[in-house]
Amino acid sequence: MTAQRKVAAGLLAGIVVLAPGALASPAIAATTPAEAPAGTTLKLALTADIDSLNPFKAILASSTSILALQYQNLVAYGSENNAEVPGMAESWKTSDDGTVWTFHLPADREWSDGEPITAQDAEWTFQAIQNNDELKQANGALLTSVEKVEATDDETLVMTLAEPQAPNPGTQLPIMPEHVWSQVDDPAAFMNDTDAVGSGPFTVVNYDKTAGVTMKANPNFWQGEAKISGITFAPYKNSDAAVQALKTGELDVVNGLTPAQFQALENEPGITTNAGTGRRYQAIAINPGTETADGTAMGDGNAALHDVELRRAIAMAIDSATLLEKVMQGLGEEATGEVPAAYPVYQMDDTDLSLAYDPEAANALLDTAGYPMGADGLRVDKNGTPLELRLMGRNTDPIHQQMADYVKPWLKVIGIDVSTVMKASAQVNDDSVLGNYDLYFTGWGMGPDPDFQLSMNQCSSRPNADGTGATSENNFCSADFDALFLEQHSELDQDTRSELVNDAQQMIYDAAVNKVLYYANALEAYRSDRFEPFTTQPAQGGVITGQNGPWGYYSATPVGLASTGSESDAGGNPFVVGVPIALAVIIGAGAFLFIRRRRSTADERA
Amino acid sequence: MTQLLVDEAAAPVRAPRRGSSWLRYIGLKAGGAAVSLVMVVMLGFFAFRILPGDPVRSLADGRQVTAEQMDILRRQYGLDQPMLVQFWRYLTDLFQGKLGESYTYNRPVMELILDRIGPTLLLTGTAALLSVVLGLWLGQRAAWRRGSAFDKAQTGIALVFWSVPTFWLGLLLLLIFGGGLRWFPTGGMVTAGSTETGLPLIWDVARHLVLPVLTLVAVVYAQYLMVMRASLLEEMTSAYLVTARAKGLREDDVRRGHAVPNALLPTVTLIFLTLGGLVGGAVTVETVFSWPGLGYLTFQALSAPDYPLLQGTFVVFSAIVVVMNFFADVMYRVLDPRLRTA
Repeated sequence: MTAQRKVAAGLLAGIVVLAPGALASPAIAATTPAEAPAGTTLKLALTADIDSLNPFKAILASSTSILALQYQNLVAYGSENNAEVPGMAESWKTSDDGTVWTFHLPADREWSDGEPITAQDAEWTFQAIQNNDELKQANGALLTSVEKVEATDDETLVMTLAEPQAPNPGTQLPIMPEHVWSQVDDPAAFMNDTDAVGSGPFTVVNYDKTAGVTMKANPNFWQGEAKISGITFAPYKNSDAAVQALKTGELDVVNGLTPAQFQALENEPGITTNAGTGRRYQAIAINPGTETADGTAMGDGNAALHDVELRRAIAMAIDSATLLEKVMQGLGEEATGEVPAAYPVYQMDDTDLSLAYDPEAANALLDTAGYPMGADGLRVDKNGTPLELRLMGRNTDPIHQQMADYVKPWLKVIGIDVSTVMKASAQVNDDSVLGNYDLYFTGWGMGPDPDFQLSMNQCSSRPNADGTGATSENNFCSADFDALFLEQHSELDQDTRSELVNDAQQMIYDAAVNKVLYYANALEAYRSDRFEPFTTQPAQGGVITGQNGPWGYYSATPVGLASTGSESDAGGNPFVVGVPIALAVIIGAGAFLFIRRRRSTADERA
Repeated sequence: MTQLLVDEAAAPVRAPRRGSSWLRYIGLKAGGAAVSLVMVVMLGFFAFRILPGDPVRSLADGRQVTAEQMDILRRQYGLDQPMLVQFWRYLTDLFQGKLGESYTYNRPVMELILDRIGPTLLLTGTAALLSVVLGLWLGQRAAWRRGSAFDKAQTGIALVFWSVPTFWLGLLLLLIFGGGLRWFPTGGMVTAGSTETGLPLIWDVARHLVLPVLTLVAVVYAQYLMVMRASLLEEMTSAYLVTARAKGLREDDVRRGHAVPNALLPTVTLIFLTLGGLVGGAVTVETVFSWPGLGYLTFQALSAPDYPLLQGTFVVFSAIVVVMNFFADVMYRVLDPRLRTA
């Protein structure tokens, strides 16, 4: 054997030894065959990793959105307009002082395995989190206000809170089947990724790193079994590949599209695009002078920004309508306050948008506030130092750089010099908590109740000096705001609470610590030749994926169960692939033999 | 980082003095490898602690998490302990073969790596085999006919692919053969939700394997081609070839029987060095083709930062490189008779 052949043989042996290990994934073999006919399974892209399918542990959005299909909460958010609707509980009532919540669970409902759903399941779930620190990872925060949870009979759950609260405590915690979880030795280590038992419209059959997550319709779902047989989440780490897969029919629904991808799909036959109302605001935070929870100054923010007039002028110099048009191709809505337009009950009204784009007014404001314009077109602060600010963004988000390219010249117009710097995401997180910024791009996705978002603007939400402690949205602190927050937190009358939430947002708006730019649409596309239009949330202009609830996927209806056309498009036919490969092999082998057989002698050498 | 280690570890004396014994040689090389590994273990702990980002805060990112909850998490992960205590725990765990538990996945790091190393090895192994065979074969033919149209075309094509960004080439292949012609799937290692076993499963994986392997091969085969070509060119002026020809051997036999085996020496070393780096080197291709390998795991670990997972992948990747370097050294001695006269 020549050395060359030794090497080749060694490598080949290596591959042969390794290949079966990679292929023989035990989980694939263990999967039970799906019973329903092909074509009725909805195929979605799993664009991020699954951290865990244990609902006590799962944090990543990819995991929690799957678990939201499997477990119901006591109270759900409806598809019509995100209002609270019956989930596991049929009805609920609140004591007059708002501290005792009583939930009624109907007697006839069952888990996916046929066991009855009772109030004891809910009691067990709450107590499991209360008694075990390891189970607090995902939902522990919900229990800080809960003093006691008790199932007084099979159908009645009584929750006693430490203090009155308006947000319904039944909306957040997914309820686990006690008969399954109480049998598990260590609930914190339970993988829960095979043949799971749940109460929602779909349950997990299997999760495998290579084959994705398969779910099947729950025949016992109280609102009726879904019209599709199940859902498959296929791992796609790259949104361009997912778009291609939608075109070939390997996927039925994709979300998280960029405006460019969205527009490219708009005219594809058999595909329908949907720009749903977003639940996320995009903003520029302005550092008002960062402080720790006990009021000690921290960070290196420009001290000139302590002046609210300067912050207001900056906010007025930024044209959010243009950003929305140029950066998001108009796929979104211009913002008022922090609560997105998807939640009209709490969105800030537009009666006092005094910080709307108006560079002349901004300049006038700075003139009177004592920031004289120099001969070089730059203003100086009250100490005579030129106004120079840093604008920070994430280098993982191309939109930040695009927006920065607009913001820089706009602030130049009002005499402020801006330098932009894009940093790693983790670095931006550190710097923003510690107050090491002047301006930075930020944004939050929100649930239907604004309580948590507002709570992050309390003085007590500011961090410790080392960055640990609570989470503050913009390091905002105002005694008036804290009072307003507490008032809305316990106000049980919806109209009054909406007004209080409006006032609280207006207060943040007026303080100009967070210039909210727009609410970007959630961009989705689906194979309308395979599935009929989905229920969106809200009903008008809403989203299919990423809902507060399972309604989008639950409503999916196959277009004619006999349609198989797109199945073979997915490349299932071996001949389509086999023929070119076989041809290539034959041609390659022929060429090789031809060259080998050539009998050249030393004389032929060039 | 792995590249750096390759260079450091490869630097020590490549060709030992004649007459040194096998035992002494291997001992020397193994000692060097062990020192590298210890450095890696140390570096693995401290290097990642310099990274920005608070793991607990990033776990809480965008969610409703109280300060008390974050304190609980810090206690659970031992992040409230002084750095040296954490380091001691890391070392003692490592000596028991434990790499700790990932913050993100709540599972032992060893398990996570073992789960994903199979697909990565399948992808990189297949690509390595193909690119070595292709590169060496084209390289020696190009050298033998240096200056010819074949030589110019082959080196030209190889260098173009070598310079092309992996991500871009992968996406292009995906668009053409996945989305456009629909010959191959657009991502993953098996069809999602597939319940196949046995031959249909192997067929399914093979179809998913084609595009990522093609991308990797296209990008890396040039280095084997160029080294093979260069080392064969050096041999071609040697006197022993004149002797071989004088014996009346056919030109192809002169090349195969005399020139190529000698030219293979530096190439084999290169192959082993690159094999070590391959495991960690397919991150981009894994991302483009949604391959369920170690690449995405590392990315996820970095974005947290998930210290145990980062340390684990770093130690495992580096250990593979160090071991491969060691093999390269041993291999070199096996292949070159001049080095084992003892």
